[in-house]
Amino acid sequence: MSEKPAIEVKDLKVHFATRAGTSVRAVDGIDLVIPNGSFHGIVGESGCGKTTLARTIVGLQKETAGQVVIGGRDRAEWMKSDRKSFSRKVQFVFQDPLGSMSRRQNIYQTLEEPLLIHGFGSAEKRRNRIQELLDLVALSSTVLDRLPRSLSGGQRQRVSIARALALNPSILVCDEPLSALDVSIRAQIVNLFTSLQKRLGLTIVIVAHDLAVVREVCSDVTVMYLGRVAEEGITRPLFREPAHPYSQALLSAVPSANPLIETTRKRIILPGDPPSPSNPPSGCRFHTRCPVAFEKCGAEVPSLREAPHGGKAACHLATSNKRPIVD
Amino acid sequence: MTSQVEPLYAINDLVIDLYAATVSVRAVDGVSLHVMPGETVAIVGESGSGKTVSTLGPLGLLPEGVTVDVRGTAKAGGKDLVGMASARLSQMRGAYFGVIFQDPISALNPMLKVGPQLAEQARRFCGLSHEAARKEAVSLLARSGIPDPEDRYNRYPHEMSGGMLQRAMIALALAARPKVLIADEPTTALDATVQAQILELIRQIQRDNDIGVILITHDIGAVASVADRVVVLYAGQVAEEGSVLDVLTSPVHPYTRGLLASVPDFRAEDRVEAHEIPGLPPNQIKLEPGCRFAERCEHVEPQCRVERPPLRTIAAPGTPHRVACPVVIRREGIAVQ
Amino acid sequence: MTSKLKQIKDWPWLVLSPVVIFVLIGIFAPWIMQYNPAAQNYDATLQGPSWQHWFGTDYLGRDIFSRIVGGARISLVAMAIVLVAALAIGVTIGSFAGYVGGRVELVLISVIDIALALPSLVIALALIGILGTGYWSMITALTLAWWANYARMSRAVVTAELQQPYIEAARVMGASHIWIFVRHILPHVLGLVVVYASADAGALVLAIATLSFLGLGVAPPTPEWGQMLVDGMSYIEEYPRLVILPGMALTLVVVSFNLLGEAFALQKVPRPVRGGLLRKRRRARAEEEQARQAAERKAASA
Repeated sequence: MSEKPAIEVKDLKVHFATRAGTSVRAVDGIDLVIPNGSFHGIVGESGCGKTTLARTIVGLQKETAGQVVIGGRDRAEWMKSDRKSFSRKVQFVFQDPLGSMSRRQNIYQTLEEPLLIHGFGSAEKRRNRIQELLDLVALSSTVLDRLPRSLSGGQRQRVSIARALALNPSILVCDEPLSALDVSIRAQIVNLFTSLQKRLGLTIVIVAHDLAVVREVCSDVTVMYLGRVAEEGITRPLFREPAHPYSQALLSAVPSANPLIETTRKRIILPGDPPSPSNPPSGCRFHTRCPVAFEKCGAEVPSLREAPHGGKAACHLATSNKRPIVD
Repeated sequence: MTSQVEPLYAINDLVIDLYAATVSVRAVDGVSLHVMPGETVAIVGESGSGKTVSTLGPLGLLPEGVTVDVRGTAKAGGKDLVGMASARLSQMRGAYFGVIFQDPISALNPMLKVGPQLAEQARRFCGLSHEAARKEAVSLLARSGIPDPEDRYNRYPHEMSGGMLQRAMIALALAARPKVLIADEPTTALDATVQAQILELIRQIQRDNDIGVILITHDIGAVASVADRVVVLYAGQVAEEGSVLDVLTSPVHPYTRGLLASVPDFRAEDRVEAHEIPGLPPNQIKLEPGCRFAERCEHVEPQCRVERPPLRTIAAPGTPHRVACPVVIRREGIAVQ
Repeated sequence: MTSKLKQIKDWPWLVLSPVVIFVLIGIFAPWIMQYNPAAQNYDATLQGPSWQHWFGTDYLGRDIFSRIVGGARISLVAMAIVLVAALAIGVTIGSFAGYVGGRVELVLISVIDIALALPSLVIALALIGILGTGYWSMITALTLAWWANYARMSRAVVTAELQQPYIEAARVMGASHIWIFVRHILPHVLGLVVVYASADAGALVLAIATLSFLGLGVAPPTPEWGQMLVDGMSYIEEYPRLVILPGMALTLVVVSFNLLGEAFALQKVPRPVRGGLLRKRRRARAEEEQARQAAERKAASA
């Protein structure tokens, strides 16, 4: 069991039909292997399909084609035969902690709900478990009789993490868990994630557009562009020398808090907006905005190949010892 | 020193109380700040720190459904906005100030095409004719970096992407040729690569028009990239202010230090655990004496809890660097002017 | 529990009290009535108000006060039965349509829309035409005329709530459909529908009176306001109170239910603080500020 990766995504496609009769290809052919115990980041701009990918992994979204395998078991099959045991294995943390909790339930009821659904012991046992969960996310028990609305953003996200952990899952998938939080609170939650991962041995997948946070906490990272994987690898080396021109642009857009660096450093400003995922460009999807594109890029889809940083990049110009440089 | 030049917008000792159904909140508690022509001032703080209320409050742009009491002065163009009749205030708001909101879709009328909304602004506040206003609107769209402005002129807001809408919003804010541009979290809702574009645009507009820009944000990176001066607010009070270089590279107030340390340095080589400021900001419902940050501060001394820390100017040629923390100033032997 | 009690204190008692009084009168009618409302007394017909007969008597010598109180009970009971039945049917059909979605929803929506397109009184009249007159056929007719509104609202609430992320959160936790519906959706549906029903109750009392007025509802000699109006019509010139008193009772009930519904609906809208409360809060704030300044001055001088 332990040799099997926590999550395998095989040629996954998720398309949405629109009213106009076209289909939005939110996720369009993704392969991904996330080993047990890793802290994996999925990054990209809005519309790249990263949230759809995360939702499909946990079964909130049905796949159009392809397969998601969790711990060696086909997810679709697993959910059909035993939803409850699947939800004890994989849990999801939502972007908006307030929206993900019923506004009518206080925190005690919110945390108790998963335990009730899974018939977890007596009222006394549930109470103890809730106390354990509060300790785990460093919340005081005074929050228990309050409504989600009356908590601060950071407290809410702690509650929503505690709820996700209530059933002792081994995989936690988080959709932009920090974007609704203030900067100083973000650091608290980031540290909470890293400490939880160490203490509980979780596999954590985090969807984010804040690359600084991803660099801080994630061991591995996948960069997505328009429903495809642009680049993947170990976070530090990949961020140091990104092979895909898109990753280079994305990384250069991250501002620095130091005005000396910030006002002098070079940044790559990409022309235009990302194309619509309902009508993606032919060939390499990035070629319409890519500063180093050539004829082949518009004609042929680049496969994921070895890149200098040890991971993989989907760029015709990248090889295991050479990468295109955009400036 | 450029003391002869009048500030475009100067808030002095501003106090704003909000009375909602169940609570009274002191949203702004004695804030002074100003913006000079050709200057970009960043107001930094967490949600609830009063950064939006202090800047937009005197303009009458406040949440609905609460009673607002404003004290102090907010001078713009030789007039005090506090206590101004609402009709004159709205004229002032249109002609003197341009405001960019976080969420562009809520600022543009979804039922009207983008271009005519811009032309209407230009006509109302600059007295342009129909034809001239139309030309001005197209040129505004072009200057805001919107490709094919003639075509976009006839588009509805929902036909444009987030980045394009934010540009249209900026064009709208500029339509009346304001003296002061207030950007309230202009890039928060946008993607990283688009954020960079928008910040570049704001910088460029500022240079070309020599207006004053107030950037309200919690994004330290945005501050570092566009602002000249920065004011750090905490719980409705100024914690620290000064040039961006001074404040961001040698912060003094423990809150500013904590805030900067909690932003991971993206380009640092080694991995450091994100620094966290413990606890939560105060709720500002009860007025308590002393420093608002005392509860979360690692340097706290007994006097911090009883005495409001005065804003002291510390050694700084050029832009004064002011800090409301006598404890750190004393402990680190920083010279006070 | 204590928080529940505290909430009761915060209720809008001013608008609530007329409705509560009406309900109490309806419930305790048998003890309030001094006379049997149907008992005729030919020795005391058409008397004016007196200690024996507070509101006087009608042309058959029946005590008008007792008849109005008895009418309140009849209205209350009929209204309650119709409301409960209409709510049960409406909420069930509407929620089912909203939750299941797809083709089932489309079919049910069409049924609801057709029911809504016809004025409820017209439906009621048509149904009474089929069922014949009488108390229970009036109840049935009104129920069938009234459910569609609640069905439409229930469906709207269900559809809106289903979009909320917390429903997805419950799905991820492994909750079944029934769990989600009963624990999360139903409370929201009932929350809205019951508020609406409280405003609707007035209209329903009026409809019951209307049908009885037309002779299609409660049959004599049962005391009923609509029927008392008909009875009094022939004496309107000489003894206008025979019409005015039941009319006033009816108006009061309808108005107070409408006010109640409006109060409920506006409860959630935030309003600026005004008047005395604002003065009080400003004074409290000023005092707090002075206290703070004093404390800081003391600290500075020490």
